[in-house]
Amino acid sequence: MQQEVRFSSKRFFLTLMLCACSVILLQNGDVSQSSSFAFNVVCVAVGLFICFLMFIPAAVIKRRTDADVFTLLQGRSVSALRAVAVFYALYFIYTAEFFLLPYTDMFCKKYYSDAPPCVISFLVLAGCVYAAFKGINVITRFGIFLFAFAMLTNVLIFGGSLSSLNLANNSFSFEGDPADFLKNTAYFITPGFIAVLFACLSSYVNGFRLRQTAVSLLLTGVKFICILFFVCFAVGAYASRQEYQSFVLSRVAHLGSFAGIESFLTGVSTMSVFMITSLVLCCIGKGFGKSKSLPFISFAAAVIFIIHLAAAYNQSVAMFFTAPLLFDSLTLAAAVIAPVGCYWLIRRSSREKT
Amino acid sequence: MKRLSLTAALLSAVMLSGCGSSHKIETAAVIENVSVDSRGGQIYYTFFRLTGGDTPDGTEIPADSFEQACDLARREYIPNLSLAKLELLMINRDICGEVLKRDIEYISTQSSFSPMAYFTLCDSQTLKSVCENTSVQQLIEEQLALCKSQNADVNISYLSLFNSYSRADSGDVTVPYVSCDGEIRISAIKISK
Repeated sequence: MQQEVRFSSKRFFLTLMLCACSVILLQNGDVSQSSSFAFNVVCVAVGLFICFLMFIPAAVIKRRTDADVFTLLQGRSVSALRAVAVFYALYFIYTAEFFLLPYTDMFCKKYYSDAPPCVISFLVLAGCVYAAFKGINVITRFGIFLFAFAMLTNVLIFGGSLSSLNLANNSFSFEGDPADFLKNTAYFITPGFIAVLFACLSSYVNGFRLRQTAVSLLLTGVKFICILFFVCFAVGAYASRQEYQSFVLSRVAHLGSFAGIESFLTGVSTMSVFMITSLVLCCIGKGFGKSKSLPFISFAAAVIFIIHLAAAYNQSVAMFFTAPLLFDSLTLAAAVIAPVGCYWLIRRSSREKT
Repeated sequence: MKRLSLTAALLSAVMLSGCGSSHKIETAAVIENVSVDSRGGQIYYTFFRLTGGDTPDGTEIPADSFEQACDLARREYIPNLSLAKLELLMINRDICGEVLKRDIEYISTQSSFSPMAYFTLCDSQTLKSVCENTSVQQLIEEQLALCKSQNADVNISYLSLFNSYSRADSGDVTVPYVSCDGEIRISAIKISK
């Protein structure tokens, strides 16, 4: 079994940022159509600020103990570690489905309609098992390449959409009701899952600073706002008629006769989902003390695949695994309540000993 | 042993992905352009296939709407119909009030159509010329791009036309109109929403 090495926190946050950006790439009518662009910007700001707050418990643990949730409990409380590991395993299986289901749906509906969704998820999971086996260090190195590719894609999409930009398509007024605010903000809190990834994997990183979190979320917010802006003003009302609005934006984008930028967006989405799933498998393995065990990772991937199969044949299962509000609640529990509980447990046992 | 099992897993994954059964592109079913005309009170949708020859290969389908025409084409005329490469929708100006808004509404809900594909209104003579020579379709597309560069208000794509219909600012929409009087001419005309 290979040993994990420590690596730069900046690289880890680059990877987390790319994972967070996949939320907007897979957006499918989750942002209210009746709210205006300015209103959505406020929702993005509020949502990502809540995401930032979710980082604080894990950041405090990291700064005080240089450990993550699992290493904090290791060797101190076996029963607590098992309970926490099971909870996080269930959470991460939900997270994998939350991204895998929309991704396969988008791929089959928008890009290649002949492909069966289960085959796509099987191939993605097979790749993720290999990546998780190689370890988090390798996955974050892949993030550097993905960052370059994502930048190229952004330039192509935003640059190519400039010719279709028409400010008359929508207004800059502040329009939206409380229901829209709740719906949109709930959706923009979903990038908070990166706080859970940080809480579970932070023991591998060196040189952590809280401002890295702020910068990552700020850049994520900029990307969200850019996508929302171009969807609002370049695609306009047409976006409300179609599924997966970011994909429609990439279809609209063209530089002269150079079109087909949707292939780039599909590529970035694929790699982002691949990274999320790989990190999730790493976290599940780490919780049970078998971060690089191939049979264990394969078992976790098999569970994810079986749930994906069930979701493919039963719409209610798919809806359960793609509900932003439920995902937010679980993220809140996994990013705030569980780390605070673990830290409190360790502090109490330390006091009792002394 | 590990490598052998990994190779076996990879091969099975490749076979599962559909590479085992080859798929040939059915060029005879790839539609490049569609024209909409009317004769004797019946609307006809003509689907022009992608072809390298000089003579267009069109299939004329009587239908009340583009949606119905697509369904009929798939069921009876062009079984493997593919509209992903549709570049140009040409509508006879005389029936545009009846057809244009309804068909653009339908297209806006379909993920296979490119939002940036062109549409234009035409006179009857142009639609006849389109049926006779493939170069006419290419010429119209070039003229449409030129028309857009000269007049920013004109809506030449499904995307801009749908958005113009959705706006509540004015009662008119500027669209291109192709006429054929010896040579192809294009102009911008206003039609009411």
